[in-house]
Amino acid sequence: MRILGFESSAKTASVAVCDESGLISQYYQNSGLTHSRTLLPMAEDMLKNLSLTVDDIDLFAVAHGPGSFTGIRIGVATVKGLAWAKDKPVCGVSTLQALACNGEVMPDESLICCVMDARRGQYYNALFEMRDGLPVRLCADRAIGAAKLAEDIENQKKRVFIVGDGALLCYNTLENLKANVVLAPEVLRFQSAWGVCVAAARAPWQSVHELLPVYLRMSQAERARRESAVGHAVHTEKQGGSA
Amino acid sequence: MLILSVESTCDETAVAITENGRRALTDQIFSQTGLHAVYGGVVPEIASRSHVELVSRLSERALEAAGVTKAQLDAVAVSYAPGLIGAVLVGVSFAKAAAYALGIPLIPVHHIPGHIAANYIAFPELEPPFLCLAVSGGNTLLVDVRGYTDMAVMGATRDDAAGECFDKTARVLGLPYPGGKYVDALSQTGDDTKYALPRAHVEGNPYDMSFSGLKTAVVNLVHHAEQKGEALDRESLCASFSRAVSETLVPRTMRLAKALDYEKIAVAGGVAANSRIRNDFKKAAEAAGARLFIPPLSLCGDNAAMIGCQAYYEYLAGTRAGSDLDAYANMEL
Repeated sequence: MRILGFESSAKTASVAVCDESGLISQYYQNSGLTHSRTLLPMAEDMLKNLSLTVDDIDLFAVAHGPGSFTGIRIGVATVKGLAWAKDKPVCGVSTLQALACNGEVMPDESLICCVMDARRGQYYNALFEMRDGLPVRLCADRAIGAAKLAEDIENQKKRVFIVGDGALLCYNTLENLKANVVLAPEVLRFQSAWGVCVAAARAPWQSVHELLPVYLRMSQAERARRESAVGHAVHTEKQGGSA
Repeated sequence: MLILSVESTCDETAVAITENGRRALTDQIFSQTGLHAVYGGVVPEIASRSHVELVSRLSERALEAAGVTKAQLDAVAVSYAPGLIGAVLVGVSFAKAAAYALGIPLIPVHHIPGHIAANYIAFPELEPPFLCLAVSGGNTLLVDVRGYTDMAVMGATRDDAAGECFDKTARVLGLPYPGGKYVDALSQTGDDTKYALPRAHVEGNPYDMSFSGLKTAVVNLVHHAEQKGEALDRESLCASFSRAVSETLVPRTMRLAKALDYEKIAVAGGVAANSRIRNDFKKAAEAAGARLFIPPLSLCGDNAAMIGCQAYYEYLAGTRAGSDLDAYANMEL
């Protein structure tokens, strides 16, 4: 089974082809050019170099989030276009789950802490534990405050391997807390399409229409509206209480 | 030649299949109006999220409705500028990937010529050259359509688009979003001479326009009335406002048509649905002996059929894009 994987959830754009034997090819571009310019040309060029066509691909995989809203949508919409045109299945995998594959270098019982910079003082995060050489999920993907995450890791008795574009920032905070943490070396730190392919090979397939981005956050407008609605409800309740 | 076209520049997700630039086999449109109404305007992030949820389903539905298979498609077209960048990116990413995987050409289409091309569907006899007023929530342009792909902007708004002005007026009057049709409905029974509203004339190009003064005048008028506790004659305000917009658009268009010696005048875009503007154009065209083309209401708003029709002529002119096609928030015609 041949998988074409896409990763565009943050600054880097990456495309990979994997099969049963492992990685066949991976492109990784951190040029600052928009993903809409680079992602599909990378795939096109890669398949051409491999003397493959889109027809030779059995499954299209993509990191469906969390991450940059626009970046995720470019990846998801690209995979939808390919899979729809070819009537092929897709597999949307968590960006953090794919990233956890970088931690497979660690021995069993180590924790893998995947952290992406989510801005506004938060990380996108999930925790995994290595069992029989594979990362097993301990919590759902979440957007979490830096202090809360530090507290979570501080409470772990096990060694924690930190990966992701938020890893360095997170590690610096934790080092002061003297937790048993290991910062992933740079070559193993970032999300890649290879990780997406590996995660997809272990996950169930979806139909093209079922594939949806996972944002973990509402849009700014929805959040503001909800906050003002909640504020209004609290205000009304207070008024009601005093009457 | 069968083209599958995708439109996602604002708050409509649409996929159409068109034939030879003149016939729409199907135009599957999902309007997000209901998603944005509570915010009083289009929220770009919500628009982008909705596009990506629906684009493949609408494509599938378009094939079914047209009774066409993917193998019969000759090209994929996409509206790649201008628009809400996050929204446009969804359509562009999907269309690029589909064209590449299907092994057929990808045709990039500018949204404004797309609106103009809506007239080619409605009026099989219409051929360039003609003058077109493209007027919507995002644009107000007087376009000299010399050929299907050879156009020049002769006049434009210097500030707000006419449609934006309609939305703002509706909003300040507490009407639902999008407000154009509600303003239109109220204005039917109003007195269009009751409120004196400005028609701006800008320096330099006599075909350029300005709507920000009119917008401010309406907002101030409503706020003053509220402060004084005076009841507004909403019907007459809507009628006076619609008249002011129409008197900014219609005479300019007619003067320019005369200057260019064109006897064909077309109108395109969402504001072309306004009854006052349609009627004023009909009268003016009749008086000038000009032929007027205004698409039916269904083709005035954003849709994908218009993109597919323009794409056909772009294809004939040799326009193609590759996998590196980007989306653009702004792009001159």
